[in-house]
Amino acid sequence: MRPREMLRNFFIATGGLIATGGLCAFAGALMTATPRADDISARARKLHFASIVVDTHDDTTQRFLDGDFDLGARSATGSIDIPRMKEGGLGAIFFSIWIPSKITGPEAVKHAIDQIDAVRQQVRRHPQDIVLVTTAAEVREARKQGKIAALMGVEGGHMIASDLGVLRSYAALGVRNMTLTHSGNDEWADSSTDTAVHNGLTDFGEDVVREMNRLGVMVDISHVSDKTFYDALAVSKAPLIASHSSCRAICDAKRNMTDQMIKDLAAKGGVIQINYHVGFLSEEFMNADKNPEIMKAIADEVQKRCGNKEGCQLIEGDRITREYVQQGKLPRVEYTKIIEHIDHAVKLVGADHVGLGSDFDGANMPFGMEDATKLPQITEALLRKGYSEDDVRKILGENTLRVMSEVERVSRELNSAR
Amino acid sequence: MRRLLSMVCVVVCAIGGGLLAHGSAADAISDRAHNLHFSSIVLDTHDDTTQRFFSKGFDLGKRNPDGHIDIPRMREGGMNAIFFSIWIDGRIMGPPAVQKALDQIDAVHENVRKFSKDMTFARTAEEVRHAHTQGKIAALMGVEGGHMIGNDIRMVRVFGDLGVRYMTLSHFYNDEWADSSTDKPAHNGLTDYGKEIVREMNRQGIMVDISHVSDKTFYDALEVSKAPLIASHSSCRALCDHVRDMSDEMIKALAAKGGVIQINYEKSFIDQDYKNAYEKATGGAGVVGALSQAIKECGDDQECTARAAIALERKMTEEGKLPHVSWERIVDHIDHAVKLVGAAHVGLGSDFDGASMPEGMEDCSKLPKITEALVRKGYSDGDIRKILGENTLHLMEQVERVSHELQAQN
Repeated sequence: MRPREMLRNFFIATGGLIATGGLCAFAGALMTATPRADDISARARKLHFASIVVDTHDDTTQRFLDGDFDLGARSATGSIDIPRMKEGGLGAIFFSIWIPSKITGPEAVKHAIDQIDAVRQQVRRHPQDIVLVTTAAEVREARKQGKIAALMGVEGGHMIASDLGVLRSYAALGVRNMTLTHSGNDEWADSSTDTAVHNGLTDFGEDVVREMNRLGVMVDISHVSDKTFYDALAVSKAPLIASHSSCRAICDAKRNMTDQMIKDLAAKGGVIQINYHVGFLSEEFMNADKNPEIMKAIADEVQKRCGNKEGCQLIEGDRITREYVQQGKLPRVEYTKIIEHIDHAVKLVGADHVGLGSDFDGANMPFGMEDATKLPQITEALLRKGYSEDDVRKILGENTLRVMSEVERVSRELNSAR
Repeated sequence: MRRLLSMVCVVVCAIGGGLLAHGSAADAISDRAHNLHFSSIVLDTHDDTTQRFFSKGFDLGKRNPDGHIDIPRMREGGMNAIFFSIWIDGRIMGPPAVQKALDQIDAVHENVRKFSKDMTFARTAEEVRHAHTQGKIAALMGVEGGHMIGNDIRMVRVFGDLGVRYMTLSHFYNDEWADSSTDKPAHNGLTDYGKEIVREMNRQGIMVDISHVSDKTFYDALEVSKAPLIASHSSCRALCDHVRDMSDEMIKALAAKGGVIQINYEKSFIDQDYKNAYEKATGGAGVVGALSQAIKECGDDQECTARAAIALERKMTEEGKLPHVSWERIVDHIDHAVKLVGAAHVGLGSDFDGASMPEGMEDCSKLPKITEALVRKGYSDGDIRKILGENTLHLMEQVERVSHELQAQN
C-alpha cells in the first residue's frame, strides 16, 4: 500500500498546489529513493504545527478538582497543561467530564456540573492561551487567534440521571459529546465492561440519542457494549464518534472496536479516535496487566499516594505502571503501537474515519508518548509510512471537525423541523 | 402628587371644555395611559409560571382559563419583559435541589425556544431593550432561594452561565448561609460564606434579591454588595405589617444604595385587614402554614398545591372569613414607596402564578390599570415608565457594570 499511496498523494498534493510549505519538501523526498530522515522530520514538524490537532479525550479535568492545579503552568506530572499542549502542537482538546458509574442520580449531576464549572474556570483563568468553544468553526477561529480550543465531553450517560433536562443543561454549558455509558451500565444503556441488562439501548436511551442529535451533542460510543453501539448507530441521525477506542483486531479488549464495527461506524460518516492506553493498544500488556497480584499492588500504591483524589489516582496509576514496566514486571509498549492502530483502521475504512483520542491523564501511556509534547511523533511516523499530508491532517483533527460540522448541521435541521 | 393630578385635570378639562362631554376627559386620560403603557417596557421581576411548565395541561402560547400568565395575556396586558422564577421548596437542599433547579432553568429555555416568534431570552438590559424593538417579550430568570445552589458557591457561576440574572438569598426557610424572614434566625443574617456568595453574585452580574430574607440578612447583604440590590417581590410594611414586606427604613436604605423595590401584588402582603383575617383563619400559620398543608397533600405536584391554595382562599373569601381586596392597594404601595424614596426606586414584581391576586388584577392582562391609576394620581410619564420597567433596567445596567469591573480586576 505504501508506495502506491505515496504516488496517489503526490498527485493530490501537486493538484492542490497552493496548500502547504511542505510541498517542496514532499516533492524533494520523492525525487530521492531514500529520503533523508531530516527531510521527513522537518516536513513532519511543519505539517504538524500547521494542522489543527484535535484530541477527543483527556481526563485532565480530574486534576482541576484535586487542589491548586493550574493548567497554565508546566506540571512535573501528568500529560497535559498549556505549555506542553503548545509544545506538542495540540490545538483542540476535549476535557472529559467524568465520575464513576456507581455515582448516580442528583449526586452525579452535581459532580458533573462541578467538573464543567472547573473546566470553564481553568479556561477563564487563561484567556490569552485557551478559549472555550462549541463548534468546528469556533475551533478554527481559536486556531486563527493562536489559542487552544477547549471543548467538553461527558464520559458516561449516568451523569444525566435519566433526565433530558440535565442533558440540555450540559449542552447549554458547552458539552459537545457524551459517551452513552462509562464502565458500568447506566439506566438506559449497556456498557462493554458490565453484564448486559438492557440489550443495548432502552427506548429512553434512544430518546437520549435523538435529543443529543437535536442539541448537536456528538453521540460517543466509546465504553458502550457492541449492541449499544449498533442501537445508537441505527437511531442516530448524525455520525457517531468513538472518542477513545482502539482496534480489537490488534488488541482484543472489549473497550476496542471490531473491524466490522469500525466499518459500520465509518459507513455512516463516523470517526474512531484511537486511544493510547497500553492496555488497549497491546494484547500482551492487557493480558499481563490482568495478573491480580500486580493489579492489587498498583491499586494499593495508588491509594497510598493519592487517597481519594481522582486526578492524582489517574496520574499516579500511569506513573506506577511505568515503574513496573521498567522493573520488567509488565511488558514495555512503544508509542509506535498507536501508529499500528491508526494504520489498521485507515487500511480498513480509509483516512477519513480515524482520529486521535489519547486518554491522556486517564490511562497508561506507552513509552515515547508520555505527554502532549510527544504528539509530533505521530505525524512523523505517519509521513514515514507514506501517508499524504492531507490524510495526516485528517487524522490529526480534520475528521473530527468534519463530524462536528455534520452534527451541527443535523442539529440545525432537527431544530428547524420542529 | 395629588396637586399634579388636579393640574392635569385642569389642563385636560380646559382643552376639552365646551367641545366634549365630561366623560371624554376621562377618556383622554385613558388614552394617554394606554399609549404610555403600550409604548413602555413593562418589566415584571417575579412570576412563578415556571412551575406550570411541568404541567401537561399548560401551554404558554395559548390563553389559559386559569393562572395569570401566558403569551396572549402578556400581549394584551403589554407585559413585555418577565423574570421567570426558578423555585423549589426550601426544604429540598443539596444535589437534589441543584438538579431540580437545572430542570426549571431548562424548562424556561425550552419554552422560550418553543415560542421564539413571541419571546426571546435576555440576559442584559440591552437585550431586553432589543427584544422590545423587535416586538418580542423578553424572558429572564431569577432563582428564588439560595438553597438551590446546594451550599456551593460554584453553582452561582453555573446558574449565571445558564442565564440566571437574580437570586433571592433565601426562600421561606433559612438556607445554609442566610436567614429567611419567615424562619427562626439561625445565622444572624448572612454567614461569612453567605457574604462570599453575595460577592460572587456581584462578580457574575447576578442581581442580589432580598425579598424573603430576614431584616438582618437584608442589611448584611446591603453592606457587602458592591452593586445595588432588588427586592424582586416585596411590598411596604408601613401599609401591611408582614415580615415579607419592607419597613420604610429598609426601603430608604435600599434606595440610598441605588436599589429598587418591586411591589408584590399578593393580597396578604398588601392589605393589613386581609393579612389579619388570613392569619386568624389559618390559625396563625399564615402563608407558610397554608402552603405546607397543601404541599403535604399534593406531594411534588406544584400545580396541585397551587390549586389547593387558590380553592382554600376562595372558599374562605366566600364564607366571609377573608375580606375582599382591591387591586388599587397595589397602587397604594407603589405610591407609598415613591413618596418615601422617589420614583427611581420602585418597580413591579407581581408574584403572578405564585400568589393570591387582588380583585381587578386577576391576571397580567389587567396591568394597564396600574399605569392608568398612576396617571390619574398625577405621575409624570417619565416616572411611570421608570416604575413600569426602566428602574429595573437601569439597575441591571449598574449590576452589569460592577460585574465587568470586578472581572477586569481579576
